[in-house]
Amino acid sequence: MAKGYGRPPTEGIDRRRVLSGAAALAAAGWSAGAGSWLLRPARTLAAAPIRIGIATDITGAFAPWGNANWQVAQFVVEDINRAGGIAGRPIELHLADTATDPRIAVGNVRRLIQEYRVDVVLGGISSAMRQAIKDPIVNRGRTLYIYPEQYEGQECTKHLFCTGPTPAQQCAELIPYLIKAQGRKRFALPSANYVWPQQLNRYVRKVIEANGAEIVFEEYYPLDQSEYSATIAKVRDGNVDCIFNTVIPPGVQPFMRQLYETGFQRSGGIVILIYYDEMSLTYHPIRELDGLYSCLDYFQAVDDPFSKGLQERYSQRFPDTKYPFTAGTGATGMYRGIKLYEASVKATNGDLAREAVSAAFDRAKLANGPGGSAEMVPGHMHCAMNMYIARCKAENNTARYEIVGAYDRVDPREC
Amino acid sequence: MKGRLVTRDPTSGICVLARVEIATFFVLLSMPFLLWSRPELITLATNVLILSMLAISFDLCWGYSGVMSFGQALFFGAAGYLVAIVGRDLGFSSIWGSLPLAMLAGLCLSFLFAAILLFDRIKPTTIFVALGTLTGSYAAERLVSGWQYVGAGNGLSSIRLLRIGPIEMVEGIPFYCLALMLFSLCYFGCRVLVRSQFGLVLAAIRQNEEKLPFIGYCVQVYKAVAFLLAGVIAGVAGMLFAYHQGFVGPGNVGPSLSTAAVLYCLLGGPGTLIGPVLGTAVVEVASYFLADIDTIRQIWPLLLGLMLLIIVVFRPNGLLGFIVSDRERIGSYGRGGSKQVRTTT
Amino acid sequence: MNGATILDVRGVSKSFGALKALTGVDLLIQGAGLHGLIGPNGSGKSTLLKVIAGAHSVDSGSIAFKGRDITKATPYQRARAGISLKFQTPQVLPLLPVYDNILLAFQARERPWALMRSISRRTMHQDVMAALERFHLADRADRLAGELSHGEQQWLEIATALACKPRLLLLDEPTGGMSPAERRVTGRLLQAIKSDCALLIVEHDLDFVREICDLITVLNEGHVLGTGTVAEVQDLPNLKEVYTARV
Repeated sequence: MAKGYGRPPTEGIDRRRVLSGAAALAAAGWSAGAGSWLLRPARTLAAAPIRIGIATDITGAFAPWGNANWQVAQFVVEDINRAGGIAGRPIELHLADTATDPRIAVGNVRRLIQEYRVDVVLGGISSAMRQAIKDPIVNRGRTLYIYPEQYEGQECTKHLFCTGPTPAQQCAELIPYLIKAQGRKRFALPSANYVWPQQLNRYVRKVIEANGAEIVFEEYYPLDQSEYSATIAKVRDGNVDCIFNTVIPPGVQPFMRQLYETGFQRSGGIVILIYYDEMSLTYHPIRELDGLYSCLDYFQAVDDPFSKGLQERYSQRFPDTKYPFTAGTGATGMYRGIKLYEASVKATNGDLAREAVSAAFDRAKLANGPGGSAEMVPGHMHCAMNMYIARCKAENNTARYEIVGAYDRVDPREC
Repeated sequence: MKGRLVTRDPTSGICVLARVEIATFFVLLSMPFLLWSRPELITLATNVLILSMLAISFDLCWGYSGVMSFGQALFFGAAGYLVAIVGRDLGFSSIWGSLPLAMLAGLCLSFLFAAILLFDRIKPTTIFVALGTLTGSYAAERLVSGWQYVGAGNGLSSIRLLRIGPIEMVEGIPFYCLALMLFSLCYFGCRVLVRSQFGLVLAAIRQNEEKLPFIGYCVQVYKAVAFLLAGVIAGVAGMLFAYHQGFVGPGNVGPSLSTAAVLYCLLGGPGTLIGPVLGTAVVEVASYFLADIDTIRQIWPLLLGLMLLIIVVFRPNGLLGFIVSDRERIGSYGRGGSKQVRTTT
Repeated sequence: MNGATILDVRGVSKSFGALKALTGVDLLIQGAGLHGLIGPNGSGKSTLLKVIAGAHSVDSGSIAFKGRDITKATPYQRARAGISLKFQTPQVLPLLPVYDNILLAFQARERPWALMRSISRRTMHQDVMAALERFHLADRADRLAGELSHGEQQWLEIATALACKPRLLLLDEPTGGMSPAERRVTGRLLQAIKSDCALLIVEHDLDFVREICDLITVLNEGHVLGTGTVAEVQDLPNLKEVYTARV
């Protein structure tokens, strides 16, 4: 019976997107933090609400990913509230814009905790952002924190749970598949110079070498580098047949274009962009994407009725949205995180104290989600989930993912 | 520095500045009692205090010594980084060590800049100093953005909590009180300085710098002393900020924050010490509350920029300029007064 | 009055681009006393004073003060050594009270650290008031220097320059803009000073110069025409020509 929750948050997001780059003066950039939005349940039920805080990048370079996270969060919470909330209590959703800027994020997240007194925070996209906001949330704020995004692993902080894929989940099956089933022997690791590729490559190297292949080179580039001819020459000269690419935007677009122009893929080379989902495909001309490999916890091509149902309802809720429900943005991790939180609070019978909820979350299970079921690995702060290897096929002027491998309940192997 | 000459009899004139100061301190002292149930507002008030110190450090430079420093954030952020690293690598965060460390960082860096910018053979112009400090701030931001050891572009988070003896200082009323104490020390220290005979020299520098060497003053030394003191204050503020926020990033040393300090000071009223405090409060409190309103949030940067422009062009004396006369702002330094006329012996 | 040489300017030349302001100027000041410097407009009088005080550097020649060569010294160093300059246009600090203008000069010899502690504020009060009274400014002590009349500002400037306790006081047109009454007062003031230090005065008012100066140097177009007592200079052959040549 709930009426619409009011459009303002979404409309606000669209207006904001338009002006998101318009910081007129440096001074203003410092002082102007973005504040919080509030999604209130339409009916004020008698029971005290549960407050969930979402801290994600609504503005800034990661705005598309952040907005996807936010929309999925709204979608899930509305579902839960329609069904009566958690243990009879409605959920109040608060948003803090982390603005892709750790400095602004710290202030806004702290406000989320001090002023809105949320019971749990979900969010953070880049590892840098997670590192910046975890202290105000977990230490100073003494609040539960759920991180939904794929990342480089080794986050073993108490009361900080990760519901996105880890390197082991993304690579433990993918690399052996490429070496054995696709006969790849010579790998290259061109990478962006920051923590995610650095840690991820360490794991990938182990798996590659354990499976009898070799790494021709591993290199790191500044985030804004746009000229990759030297790298691609190395690829050619080293007879590389598989590129495990962790260059990120804005460098990845010129990289892929320059690589394609040398005919790497057309002569049989394989490129892996392990973080790429359906949204990322729109960054490139379609011909450059043919044969691209990715490994995530969900693709829209996954053919199970629950996931398909979710997509349909999401499209109804947000028609013609720019922010699809995909895995690369962390939206699937967000779904998982909120649903697992719901399960935990049900298990504690509505007790929201951090210790109690943490203990319950540690063992929480999700029967149905995008890509299938998932469950937390007790004592390991991370989530076992289904993983899918997908290859991109470019035909009829579209690029789509095809699932070439599916693995159940892959162990995150962390902590 | 042009100003309106006010022919007001100083003995009957109202000491507006002192009243503003008293009112401000009264408000600051009553904050813990008024806001004890609103932790987010205490956090805001603490930040206002800390950033006021940064604004005061700029006022010492520009409002009192004619040194247009667009790099005060450099000393602020450097001290912040230093205490963050000391906490991370040495496990140390006691105030008895961190405070001297922060002051030393501010002092050494400002000494370096003073040596390069203020003691050149050619007399440094305002523009030269402004650009030099701006460049320094910018260079520092680029440096830490690329340096892994200090977290590169991501900065350093999870900063060890400040300790006083066995007590860990989290944000809240205890931290506010600490900040207030340090703020008061800095404020009154500066106040004594700018009203002393040293302050007379600074006032003279502001009005006719060229004349002073002919009276026997080495102007550069006086400017440098003020600049060094400003650096120390900025360092202390930076230390407090790092411990309070739990985060330092390249933005803490860069031109963005340096310019914010300029805005705070000019808005409130340069050359008054309490003006920058008011300016900081106005900007930060307005940012905090207006940030929730959707339409304003988008144009807030524009509004701040316009405000700075209007102040610089039309009201260089800032908000306090409306109520404080030039005469009172510049002050008088002797024991003199018309009552003091005595016959010579 | 001792005969020790206070100022010895030898062969000083100064050009500003194509304009030759001073050419081969010699000037000798021995002992305390009033030395006048006269000449038509543009003859380089102000330039010479500025060169002696260090506001301009010389192109050639040397300047010695109390036996030490100061040709390369900065204005600050020369002020510390004992040379004090009053500029042609009053350079009082307009937004500070008259009292503070003088105090500033009196406290110039203190170190910054001592000034921070304001140690000498009390002890200097007597000196400041004495200086103010001497220059008829005592009842103006509280007024802002910018509010003074032109003549009073000149007095303030002279008082300030004197407060630095110089051995050589350079005054550029001390009676500029003064009424005749004020001029007389100024004349008396300067005569009272001349026992303490040497004065080098640039003046247009020839009567004023005649009354109070012991020696006079005449400049014309950057050259020294002649130096001597009032009587000697009056007999200089070119003097009248030089002065009447200008309209």
